[in-house]
Amino acid sequence: MSAEMVITVLGSSLLILGAAIMASAAYGLIKLPDVYTRTSAVGTAAGLGVALMILGVVVIDFSVLNLIKGIVAIVAQLVTSAIGSFVLARASYMTGSKPVNTTIPDELADQAGRSST
Amino acid sequence: MIPDVVAFVVLGLLAISVVLSVIRAFKGPTAGNSAVAGDLIFFVFIGAVAVLGVMLPIEAVMDIILISALLGFLSVLSLARLIQGGKR
Repeated sequence: MSAEMVITVLGSSLLILGAAIMASAAYGLIKLPDVYTRTSAVGTAAGLGVALMILGVVVIDFSVLNLIKGIVAIVAQLVTSAIGSFVLARASYMTGSKPVNTTIPDELADQAGRSST
Repeated sequence: MIPDVVAFVVLGLLAISVVLSVIRAFKGPTAGNSAVAGDLIFFVFIGAVAVLGVMLPIEAVMDIILISALLGFLSVLSLARLIQGGKR
């Protein structure tokens, strides 16, 4: 195997893995029961999927400038997807979306002034 | 360059993701669900730009991805503010 083939196989694998993780996030968006679990699925899986796809692009089109841009983009993606999912879940909680019944200890209920049922 | 089969598989998975997200965005039932679906559609857009940048001879792809990853969460912040009705 030549070095070019190794690069192609590795980059393609990273791209397919990232796209599959994002498809699993979309499947969770359909199947999961309430808005908090959906936010969790999107915030973790989509952030990881985008990071893997950026890594695949850097592996295929390798240069030092692309490596620097890719590292900055991956770090920013992981941080901002966490911030985005947190803010969305907080907004849903503030506007009174009920969590699903299996969410037993609702520890924010006292602070938000709601009953814990 | 990547083989055409890989590009079809990746873009197909991303297209399935967009279709499922649009279904969730229309079904609701609250505005928060639609906002989460829009968030995922934005992430899928970043991935599609990455794949197209590998397929086509475009130089500025990493810049587009970098700016999108840096500034994409502002849309989510404004959506959350909109859901809350301006209150913090």
